[in-house]
Amino acid sequence: MSRAVALWIALVVVLAPDGVAAQDARQIVQEVQKRSNVRSQRYEGVLQVFNAKGKVSDKRWVLERIGSYGSSKMILRFTVPAEVKGVALLVVNHTDRASDQWMWTPSIERDRRIAFQDRSQRFFGTDFSFEDLEERDVDQFDYSILGDETIDGESCWKIQSVPRQAKSSQYTRSIVWVRKATYTFAQLDSYIKEQVVRRLDYRDMANVQGVWTARRLEMSDLRTGSRTRLTLEQLQYNVPMKDEDFTLQALRRQS
Amino acid sequence: MTLRHSVVLATTLLKLVDARPAAAQSVTHRGLVEARVTLFPQRAANDTQRAIADLLAREEVFIRATSWFRLSSGVEARGNSYNQVDRSWRTRFDDRTVRRPALAMRRLSAAISRGGLALDVGKQFIRWGKVDIVTPTDRFAPRDYMAVIDNDFLAVRGARLAYAKGGDTIELVVVPWFTPSRVPLLDQRWTVVPDGVSITDATPPESWPGSTQTGARYSHVGAGYEYAVAFFNGFNHLPNVQIGVPPGPSLPQPPAGITVLMSPVSRPLALVRTYSRMRMYGGDVALPTRWVTLKGEAAFFATSTPGTDEFVLFVAQAERQMGEWLLIGGYAGSVVTRAGGTATFAPDRGTTRSFIGRASYTIDSTRSAAVEGALRQTGDGVYLKGELSRSSGTHWRTTVAGALIRGEPDDFLGQFRRNSHLSLTFRYSF
Repeated sequence: MSRAVALWIALVVVLAPDGVAAQDARQIVQEVQKRSNVRSQRYEGVLQVFNAKGKVSDKRWVLERIGSYGSSKMILRFTVPAEVKGVALLVVNHTDRASDQWMWTPSIERDRRIAFQDRSQRFFGTDFSFEDLEERDVDQFDYSILGDETIDGESCWKIQSVPRQAKSSQYTRSIVWVRKATYTFAQLDSYIKEQVVRRLDYRDMANVQGVWTARRLEMSDLRTGSRTRLTLEQLQYNVPMKDEDFTLQALRRQS
Repeated sequence: MTLRHSVVLATTLLKLVDARPAAAQSVTHRGLVEARVTLFPQRAANDTQRAIADLLAREEVFIRATSWFRLSSGVEARGNSYNQVDRSWRTRFDDRTVRRPALAMRRLSAAISRGGLALDVGKQFIRWGKVDIVTPTDRFAPRDYMAVIDNDFLAVRGARLAYAKGGDTIELVVVPWFTPSRVPLLDQRWTVVPDGVSITDATPPESWPGSTQTGARYSHVGAGYEYAVAFFNGFNHLPNVQIGVPPGPSLPQPPAGITVLMSPVSRPLALVRTYSRMRMYGGDVALPTRWVTLKGEAAFFATSTPGTDEFVLFVAQAERQMGEWLLIGGYAGSVVTRAGGTATFAPDRGTTRSFIGRASYTIDSTRSAAVEGALRQTGDGVYLKGELSRSSGTHWRTTVAGALIRGEPDDFLGQFRRNSHLSLTFRYSF
């Protein structure tokens, strides 16, 4: 995005908060990414998995991310439960194609590449799939505004995103609700053909180091009735990190 | 390097970095206590024991002293109801004992990383290759084969230097101290002998190859593909088996891949294990396609040890995720390029010329099931392992497993046809 366009968006946001309807869907999503753009991120995630009958498991991971949207890298390491402690996932995002992902399993001291066709797999018994853990760069989708709706009392744009040909995705399309006040996601529905299969809710918004952040994410698998709540603890942005800690070699290091 | 020397080295290194800010340090650990009961429905010719109980306690600690220095350590304590664990409580560092050590240093290594460079020194796990079940290029990964088809990896003592830049990685490995794979006990069911034959281990103590083993591997990760080429120069961690013939009628040599010859002679035989020189040239590739991930791995093994086979091992397999299923299927092959004639204990070669497969299914967030098997192309041997596992809370896991082994007595897998078994495992992880 050119500096001129960014400046234009900034002016629109500051001077004409009610005039954003003039923006197109793509600009809105770009603005969401711009406002959440950080050099790095670290948090401890608490995962609670609920099936249709109630809570069945708790998990925790530590997530570290470096880089900007679309070209970021992320390592996620499980810390709880004890039997999966040390299991780790490296995600290398690309602006022009699907991410590369590798999973490290300490019990066999080996990494395994997660192939394209495996991205729809549930990630370690949660309701997140591997694909849900990759970043969705704005240039990999086509957008259109479907209208305005209110989510939890907040006015939102309802935007449809369809993956472009180059993007390999399990989802046919997604509909995202963006809060007008803060340019943050409120809800994301992911479709396979005409059926909503997963819903991600963004809740407990807080301004952390100048970035509006959902500290509670809840992913529902609408086919099975199960859901996973991810709570972000000890969230920090712009923590000093090195590129060399986001490689396959680093993935294999135990820590 | 002795255990004492290793501990002193590790302590010294820790002291050297102790002055670093506490914020840069982190200590993590993981451990488990596991109790297992294994039941064998059938008696073996040399073994009437039908139930074996195992107890394992393991604790591993990882210290990140600075952003560039880490220590990894792990200890294990074992107990067993059937004399499969050494009775000495001396802490073992070398993993060379015939029986599993009662107390062992599972790993102890220091790692330094700067930029794309990483150096690991000490007792560590080094895994090469990409395929499953049979892994031809995985030469620094000896295993505990005491229960042949239920095996576990052993660490090696040495240094590993890796340099990564972009998608390219070069690894250099030096292992001055040899670690053999642990073989089945001679008086138990995984050493197959006919009725009336007994075997004694006549291998001279501490008769390990003395030379340093080395290896190099170059790997490349591309957009949608990965490959590696590897070279190894050292010794086979699987032994050649020489059976001493007492005065009397001579015995024929057993074929390659057979643990011990079935002998008509009803007097003790003396068995000597030796480890042949080995030079490996190999490579592996992984190619994700739209429908499956194709993986291949192959290696040629040359030797200068007289009487030892030279051969090629290769594996081609496909992986596919389908919903909660992970399916792996393929073929493992071997070709002897120069027959040596000496018998070997070679589960890797013994599982080749087979169709191999593995299927795992995630039932829900607490339960999973898996099946793994190998079927010889001749139909002369097959094993099928299955397990059903369930976690309770954040610490407990219960696993029910079974193995079915069938085949002809002259087949590597088939010879264990009386060793089908069931097991129940309780694990507490912390």
